[in-house]
Amino acid sequence: MFDERRLQHHIDWPLLTAVLALAGIGLVMIYSATWNPIAAQVGGRFWTHLYAFGIGVGALFVCLFLDYRRLCENSLFIYLGVAAALIYVLVAGSTQGGAQRWIALGGFNLQPSEFMKIALALALATYFAENNRGAQNYKDLAIAGGIAGFAFLLIYKQPDLGTAVTLLPILFGIAFVAGLRLKLLAIIALVAIVMAPIGWMFALKPYQKERIQTFLDPEKDSRGAGYQQLQARISVGSGGLSGKGFRHGTQGQYRFLPEPHSDFIYSVLGEEQGFLGVLGTLGLYLFVVLRTIEVARLAKDRHGTYLVVGLISCFTFQVLYNITMSAGLAPVKGLTLPLMSYGGSSIIATLAAFGLILNVRMRRFTN
Amino acid sequence: MIIPDDRTNLNSRLTAMQVGLSALFFVLLVSFWAIQVLQHDKFLEEAENNHTREIPLRAPRGALFDRHGKVLVENREALNISLVREQAQNLDRSMRLLAAVTGLEERYVRDAVDRGRALPRYQPIRVVADATMPQIASVAARRHELGDVLLERVPTRAYPRDFAAHLFGYVGEISSKQLDLPAFEHVKPGSLIGQAGVEATYNDLLMGQDGARVVTVNSVGREIKVLRRDEPGEGKRVQLTIDADVQRAAEEGFRIAGYNGSAVMLDPRNGEILALASVPTFDPNDFASGIAAKTWNSLMTDPLRPLSNRAIQGRYSPGSTFKIAVAVAGLEEGVITPDFHAFCGGGATFYGRYFKCHSGGPHGSISLRNAIEKSCNVYFYTVGNMLGVDRMHKWASALGLGELSGIDLPSEIQGIMPSTEWKRQKFNEKWYAGETISVSIGQGQVSVTPISLAVMAMTVANGGTRYQPHLVRAIDDGNGGGWQPYPAPKPRSVVHMKQSTIDAVHDGLFLVVNGAGTARRAQIIGYDVAGKTGTAQVISIQGKARAGKTTKDLRDHGFFVYFAPAKNPEVAGVVFGEHAEHGSNAAPIAKYMIETYFAKKEGRPMPAYPEVGKNPLPLPPAEDDVIAAGEPITVAPAVAPAARAAGHRGGN
Repeated sequence: MFDERRLQHHIDWPLLTAVLALAGIGLVMIYSATWNPIAAQVGGRFWTHLYAFGIGVGALFVCLFLDYRRLCENSLFIYLGVAAALIYVLVAGSTQGGAQRWIALGGFNLQPSEFMKIALALALATYFAENNRGAQNYKDLAIAGGIAGFAFLLIYKQPDLGTAVTLLPILFGIAFVAGLRLKLLAIIALVAIVMAPIGWMFALKPYQKERIQTFLDPEKDSRGAGYQQLQARISVGSGGLSGKGFRHGTQGQYRFLPEPHSDFIYSVLGEEQGFLGVLGTLGLYLFVVLRTIEVARLAKDRHGTYLVVGLISCFTFQVLYNITMSAGLAPVKGLTLPLMSYGGSSIIATLAAFGLILNVRMRRFTN
Repeated sequence: MIIPDDRTNLNSRLTAMQVGLSALFFVLLVSFWAIQVLQHDKFLEEAENNHTREIPLRAPRGALFDRHGKVLVENREALNISLVREQAQNLDRSMRLLAAVTGLEERYVRDAVDRGRALPRYQPIRVVADATMPQIASVAARRHELGDVLLERVPTRAYPRDFAAHLFGYVGEISSKQLDLPAFEHVKPGSLIGQAGVEATYNDLLMGQDGARVVTVNSVGREIKVLRRDEPGEGKRVQLTIDADVQRAAEEGFRIAGYNGSAVMLDPRNGEILALASVPTFDPNDFASGIAAKTWNSLMTDPLRPLSNRAIQGRYSPGSTFKIAVAVAGLEEGVITPDFHAFCGGGATFYGRYFKCHSGGPHGSISLRNAIEKSCNVYFYTVGNMLGVDRMHKWASALGLGELSGIDLPSEIQGIMPSTEWKRQKFNEKWYAGETISVSIGQGQVSVTPISLAVMAMTVANGGTRYQPHLVRAIDDGNGGGWQPYPAPKPRSVVHMKQSTIDAVHDGLFLVVNGAGTARRAQIIGYDVAGKTGTAQVISIQGKARAGKTTKDLRDHGFFVYFAPAKNPEVAGVVFGEHAEHGSNAAPIAKYMIETYFAKKEGRPMPAYPEVGKNPLPLPPAEDDVIAAGEPITVAPAVAPAARAAGHRGGN
């Protein structure tokens, strides 16, 4: 056994500080975005999120003090458990806005798909770490693809293409560092390009096609699907260098911006805090990403490296996509900004993931 | 355990990730720089357009005052009852309840709401314009049930009842046709503009500058806060030349006498209009907040045409009032002298046809003064015959008959003063000498508006200056400069007449009222009223016989033109009594107006109507203008159909 108190000295305080700082900025932005200018009070969602944030900090420390190797050993059960929850969602989940994504837990809606990200990262990290061949064997890749694909399908069926797609970076990220042949990487890229038109014709739903078409020409449909994209760009652009000030963003305050507290929280930040706010938060996110990849480098074993890479791949993909979308530069997709967007399950799962990342670093000298 | 070789590979791949992701973050940062800093102005403007709205505030129109400073037309706050759909929990129920509370038909309320469907949901839809006190009271009493019903204050024109309606005119929403006119270049759709009367002529002065409330709205258009309030600028205050008491006397006079008609009183010293009335009248308040279709239709289909301003839009044959112009023409052309006598044997033959004087004759050997006093037809047949129609045309036109007066009211129509040239152009026919005879007593094809007769009275009264009648004395633009005189229009022309002409005509007209003439009912001791009656046939005597029994009123019209005092006149004008049968019946109305004018000037109490309580006086023994019983009034038979076609008789 090891001394838990000694481990505390190896916590990566700069990384933890940066993560909590981003979550704190997120809380401030949610406060502004849920402010009701007519009633002059903050919306109830702020308090829900604050509550979730508290739980998330708890989850972070729980994940910090459980040995990640124990979790890896049980990764198959964790994966199957979360998959079972997803199946339950498909059968009996609660429905909001035409999608069945949640399990109602007495006043709190749990979104299992958020936790599948951690479960999949654990499962794939364990799988590639334990086969001793990394990701060089096509058969191994196929099995890993099967593990990821099953989870993808369960979430895609909800339907929640946005969250389902965030699982793919976990697979590619881990496979990449696990030695995926560059030739194969090129082939995958080629196949993706060839498959895109086929996917366009058969896999995408009409509203999804519309979103992409609208992205290519937002003016064409400025009251419909293009509206959100235009409003997002107006919000960010009108913020200027230093922003309109806290709670003074007209686009967010008067709800020209859709979903300002969740998907478009970064547009609110762009409008109210301006380019300087963007510079600061982008810097923080980049710091978190680079520092986490250092954790992967320092990890004691391949389990740790792959787990950290899987988690950070998913996180980075979401950050880059959401921020691009928040400036109206990518098609609108229901994808939250990790650490900053409103969403209980999202903030809890993200903080838990950082708990695991800190866990890997903290235990790099233990046996 | 990681093999060293493997470790190197892993390290380089992690480094590649770090470099690649850093590059992506950098690209993102540059994109934000482009949008937030380089394109900032464009997006800031788009954001402003998103959330600010300008809501117009209607400017009150300028008030109208009379010449003594009495307020005639001002503004009041009207209350409109409106429905806000955004706040309606059950729109259907709200509409039903509102209909019940206001006493309107439910269909009417639904129609009003349907008309406003295109407006944003937060904008009130006006259901009742200018609600009555009982409606407001019952809506206020049920405020809790009618949370979606709003009472809106709107400045609205307040006109006095039964007073100078045609003179003031009315306001109405600008039409799409008017919006295209250059005169309304800066007027926004939906604005109220003057559509008739002084309101229309002086719209630019009266209209004022609409203000606006600039508000912040949210994405569904709901008002969040007021950013700025541009107060509306009230229109300029305008002082009219009208004397409210004289105007009141004119309209009251018609009501007491029981006639329709019109009256004009001018100041012969400058052309200011002291009173201008037309009866029957309408209520301009009906138009102030949008006229109801029902009211409009009844005004438009009323056979008495209450919207028509008879003083400037009615054309009638002047009858014997025309003899004033003939007398001036004869004297000025040197055809007669004031002492010229003609012999009236009760009639005379011209061009093989016998023309009667009226039954008051025969007048024997008669002078100009007495011919005017007694309205002797034979005398004027003789003078007219000597003059010929073109010289009568010259002088009648110079005095303003058959001409536009130039009054500052819209839609004045022009009378007809025939001449050989006129007939050739109009009918391509030559003038018959016999027609001259009927023109010389103001019949035949002569037709005039009451205002042009008033202009003639003024021009004769002041010795020849034909002023342009006008209504505005002064304006106050509200900038603290006080009342500034409004420039009067230049006189239309100056008619040069010999003093002997003026004296002779004045003497004759004095005798009409104060001697043995037809207008003794206008006599005011000490004020030397001068004047001349005239009777205009609505239909010829034969026509009357032909028409038999008809629902149309075929009684003749009566005119009285006047000025007073005979020396140094201060007032001049005309009273036109529609179907008053005789000009002498118009005289008491003129007397009432003149007495009111002098009573006011001298600070005495306002007089009563001269003949109240008296039995209507019997008509004078004679119809002064009847040509010949059983004879057509036009001499050359060929003209008769054309004359009827011209429609100058009785139709107006």
